[in-house]
Amino acid sequence: MVRLSTVLVLSGALVLSCQVKQQPLPIFGEREVMKGDTVYHRIASFQFVDQDSSMVTNETFKGKIYVADFFFTSCRTICPIMKTQMVKVYQHFEDDSDVLLLSHTIDPEYDTVALLHDYAGRLGASSTKWHFVTGVKDSIYKIAQTSYFATALEDNSEPDGFIHSGAFLLIDKDGRIRGKYDGTVPAAVDQLIKDIDRLKKEYGD
Amino acid sequence: MAIRRLVLLTCMAALASCGDPKFKQYYVQGEQLYVRHCSNCHQKDGKGLGLLYPPLDESDFMAKNFEATLCVMRNGLKGEVVVNGKSFNQPMPGVRSLTDLEIAEIATYIYNTGSHKRGLITVTEAEKVMKDCAQ
Repeated sequence: MVRLSTVLVLSGALVLSCQVKQQPLPIFGEREVMKGDTVYHRIASFQFVDQDSSMVTNETFKGKIYVADFFFTSCRTICPIMKTQMVKVYQHFEDDSDVLLLSHTIDPEYDTVALLHDYAGRLGASSTKWHFVTGVKDSIYKIAQTSYFATALEDNSEPDGFIHSGAFLLIDKDGRIRGKYDGTVPAAVDQLIKDIDRLKKEYGD
Repeated sequence: MAIRRLVLLTCMAALASCGDPKFKQYYVQGEQLYVRHCSNCHQKDGKGLGLLYPPLDESDFMAKNFEATLCVMRNGLKGEVVVNGKSFNQPMPGVRSLTDLEIAEIATYIYNTGSHKRGLITVTEAEKVMKDCAQ
């Protein structure tokens, strides 16, 4: 015969111990074991230009958590929803200097620095927090596909001329992918926000 | 669901025609069309997005430009437009496939939501407006 009070104390202890240790977020991509250390997939070197004509590279995000996506300003289908959701993320972490946003255009021919500047301004984005970048088209497509695992292709049969995924990628302070979320689904973006908080805790913030 | 009922009740209080089944039918169909064709930019709540996409729930442009508002649904809009004192300049794609009836339904929805209380916009009224659109 087990006493109710014993059961309550034990289950209480279990619940508490579960909450104390949170599972770390997964690390996406391939990994190699080299000389006993596991080497994880990292975002490759990049060099783009943002809406202020500032050079943006991996250094810009060193030691920061950031969210990346791929879009273009003349996009009529999924981008408006993605931007609405990204604004949600922006506003949530507006005063948190540890979290940055990186939106890449996949239509650099049309999306000039000036146009991106106007577009970003209209969303109320501060350029030091939310970088809207353009650059060499092949470099952008390559990094989308091979670093971020996000689809980005030109395709004339598509309504807007591009195939691209609405994915938001969560990148940690070491340039590793820790989450992939559908930026067109509000509940997924709510999860992203929660996961950013989890990630910060992993770094002891 | 509850909001829709509240709007209908408010509308019925304001205008005799609203309680009428035809109004309800247009309004409900209009809302579905709005969600499908318009909400991804103008948002489900009609509040728009920043200075990119103008709001519809409260819009002096809509209030003062009834005919133009109907025309842009099918024909789109390019160039600057000032709404509630703010300047917007993103090209709006029209939905070429919208019929006059669908335009009347969407119009009935947007003009009886948020701050607007115009009452039923019939297909006859929409037909007349659409004939005279600039494009």
